[in-house]
Amino acid sequence: MAADGNSKFKRIGLQFAFWGVLIILFGTLMVNFVNIGQPNQLSAYDDDWDDLSAFRQDINDMGIKTKSLVSSPLLLEELEDPRNVTFVIAGVERDTISLPQFSGDSVVTFASEDGYSPGEVDAIVEFVIKGGTVIVFEDYGYANTIAEKFGVKFKRAQLFDTVYVHELDYNYIWTCMQLSPCGMNGTVIDTETIESHSRWNSSDALSGRHICAVWADLMALNGTTISKDEAGLCAQHHQDGVIEYNASYQMLLNNITSIDIDESNKHSAMITQGIRAVSSSEATIDINGDGEIQLSTNTKTPDLWGQFNLSIEVCASVTCSPFEAGGRVHFIADGSTLINAIYDYEGFNAGKYGPVTKEIPANDNRKWALDVIAEALMGLDPVTGMPLGEPSPTAMVIFDESRHVQSNVATDTYNMLYFVLVYFTGEGLAKLLLFIGLFVLFEGVLLKKKDPDPWRHVFSIIYYGFGDANRYSYYAKTNKIKQVFLSKVRNQNGLTREEFDSMPARELQAMIADPVLVKFVFENRDFTLEQTVAIVKRVKVWGRV
Amino acid sequence: MWTRKASFTFAGGISLILIGMMISNHQMMILGLSFVAFIVANSWISGHGDVEVQRTLSADNLYKGDDLYVELLVTNRSSRRTQTLEVYDNVPHEMKLRSGLNQMKMNLGPGESARIRYVLRCPLRGHFSIGPVSLRYRNTFNLSVEEMFVDHHSDMIVFPQLRDVEEAFIRSRTPKMYTGATTLRTPGPGTEFYSLREYVPGDPFKNINWKAFARTGDLMINEKCRDAVTDLYIILDSRDIARIGTVLKNPLEMGTVAAASLANFFLQRRDSVSLIIYDEKLSYLPPDTGDKQHFKILSSLAGVAPKGAMPLQAVTNSLAARFSRGSPIFIISSCEGDGTVPAAIRDLVGRGHEVTVLSPSSIDFERLVSRIPRMSYEVLKIERQNRMTSLAGFGSQVIDWMPDMDLSQALLQVRGY
Repeated sequence: MAADGNSKFKRIGLQFAFWGVLIILFGTLMVNFVNIGQPNQLSAYDDDWDDLSAFRQDINDMGIKTKSLVSSPLLLEELEDPRNVTFVIAGVERDTISLPQFSGDSVVTFASEDGYSPGEVDAIVEFVIKGGTVIVFEDYGYANTIAEKFGVKFKRAQLFDTVYVHELDYNYIWTCMQLSPCGMNGTVIDTETIESHSRWNSSDALSGRHICAVWADLMALNGTTISKDEAGLCAQHHQDGVIEYNASYQMLLNNITSIDIDESNKHSAMITQGIRAVSSSEATIDINGDGEIQLSTNTKTPDLWGQFNLSIEVCASVTCSPFEAGGRVHFIADGSTLINAIYDYEGFNAGKYGPVTKEIPANDNRKWALDVIAEALMGLDPVTGMPLGEPSPTAMVIFDESRHVQSNVATDTYNMLYFVLVYFTGEGLAKLLLFIGLFVLFEGVLLKKKDPDPWRHVFSIIYYGFGDANRYSYYAKTNKIKQVFLSKVRNQNGLTREEFDSMPARELQAMIADPVLVKFVFENRDFTLEQTVAIVKRVKVWGRV
Repeated sequence: MWTRKASFTFAGGISLILIGMMISNHQMMILGLSFVAFIVANSWISGHGDVEVQRTLSADNLYKGDDLYVELLVTNRSSRRTQTLEVYDNVPHEMKLRSGLNQMKMNLGPGESARIRYVLRCPLRGHFSIGPVSLRYRNTFNLSVEEMFVDHHSDMIVFPQLRDVEEAFIRSRTPKMYTGATTLRTPGPGTEFYSLREYVPGDPFKNINWKAFARTGDLMINEKCRDAVTDLYIILDSRDIARIGTVLKNPLEMGTVAAASLANFFLQRRDSVSLIIYDEKLSYLPPDTGDKQHFKILSSLAGVAPKGAMPLQAVTNSLAARFSRGSPIFIISSCEGDGTVPAAIRDLVGRGHEVTVLSPSSIDFERLVSRIPRMSYEVLKIERQNRMTSLAGFGSQVIDWMPDMDLSQALLQVRGY
């Protein structure tokens, strides 16, 4: 009983230890891959001041579907009409999960750093090549794996500029979507320095102009007056019944970095790179992040000074025009460009997103963002190829939520599991592994899964009680036979052991009365098998009357 | 628990979903999803084992080789159908199904019952238990199966067979024992008239002789002769060495048959019979008469198993004081592997007991299962004969019992060694 109790406790202990180790391992895994952060920001589906709900709402109001991508950009490969899709990456707050995958030259690699795995980056590049539009808002996050494929690189250090919002603080930087920096006149933007967008205000009648400008011209040619509701994707330019396209954009950015051009890893399909916005020539970058600007070369890590790129557009076509095949990527050196506080500054100042301490000045962030959407998603006449003003029937904006830190375990775990699912059905190596896994699963089911055996009564009383077989050879020995025979002689004559032992040999010989057996008893010699058999036969019949 | 079919369906469903995702084939994904949904939906439609069982046996006690009729009544107590329910009555593997089946598949509606009837043959003596009742229920599509059991047991005792030995005792001169009810010429409880005496307070009224009262005017009591019975002792060797042979033919099995038959014979003659079983310990059933003693003896014999190596002399020494003077003693033993047998028998005979040794020939039982070289067998037989001779020399009756010999036949063949 005690032994049973011990083994029971041991079994319970072992089970406890097993599940404990399993939980610790799973917990360790989850801690590494599930990052719980502060209440999430930059989400298109939350309506805090630092989320993108106003932007998403505007898109929905224009009749464009919006989706969120919580798993992986690998899904972009599955889109049927990428030309009418815009993929918005607003802040890459977390690194990718390092899983093995095939690199371009069919070597198994692990994604090591910077946000997106090679497979995901390839999916984004393919998406752009097929005509999709990507907007990347980033400052200090992990977007460089994407950026490098398009020949640019985020500096990931804070940029300070003299062109900032004095009513707020130096973190709020003004910039204009134009090739030369706009300047300040006191505490406000000097309107004399404001120019036009470098691509959207070209003299080219079609490909060098913004699609809203083209559509406005078409409307003007027809003499059509349109209401704001009918203005469709160009409603942000609607004035007095007509579309008055204006290509100047006074953008307000917050906590920005800069974007360098680095073509070392650029994909060959990315033909055109265009700088769309720059800082003033007196901007500085705090490279070492110590909060001080030290430009002297004597310092170990001197900070940078000069003019830096704040927005770059990379295209898979020569002109970047929506009338050409091939998409485009807009890189903005600020992850918070479209947050509700700046994008919907009127609502913010009115207290729509919470208490207001300082008011956000008017800006053109909304106009710029909607113009990007208009250019990317406006439907074209299938016959003439001219813009229709309305979004394409398949138009869609996808917000990348897969790299946003979630505020609770369930959401983040869901995202992670969804990522794994997409990884295993989208990545080449993972597909191979999945096939092997499914094969093993089926084999396992085939081998291990048994139906319960049918019940059957088995009648079994087989039992053999064996004796000691070792004694058989002993009973064939001459001395044993001799002993058995003498016992028989003694018993037949009713003698005790003592009487028998003290009996003279002559008397014993007379008692035996068989010369062969007498010889057997008194001669100490070896007998052949035949002789022994004959003797045993004689012993057996000896004494019978 | 899922069946193999369910596992395959589920694994197939998951595979179809994943492969469908890989190759962007929605039909394949929907098919896979249907498979998984089918499994999930089926997991809600399961059977149950909430049934009541009641087992009826034709007898609780029976003799080896008899048939046992079993009826199992299964009733669905629930308000739901059982779905496919398999019922299996667990029968000891020592019992043989003679007719019928101890299992049945059924689908019982609420309150419905089903009966399972089968007949068992019990070729081995022992204490047995039928049960528990195992239940296995599956859902309609055989996708899930659950097992449980109803802890319902029916215990029974299979006694050793009883052989008729009366003829042997009539025809044989030996062993001749003056057993059975013997009238003693002393007053006491009995059946035969002894004398008349005057009534004393406390005498039962039924013993008053009314004719004598009418004649004499005094209350007179009929006194009876005391009936005396013989105490008979049966000593059974249940040591480990008694297991040699086959399951049905070994010294212990034959010994239990002999002990039961002898006890039955002597109890019918109104003797007091005592049973002593020695193996690794000593089990002593004091002498007594009647059906109750018969049942006790048979129950004890049903449960004996070969074990231990207690010497016979230890048994006789410890019980010598309990043996009634001059009472007959039956020793049922192969007399193998115990050097104290001659001394023990000599002591018993010396104390005036009439000792009969019924000795199953263990070397011949061993020959049933082992290939013994002829010469060794002959020498072993001679040695055994020597042993029997020496026991007979001490004054006991010795019976060398061969495996193929019936008990009454063996009792007739008492040899004068």
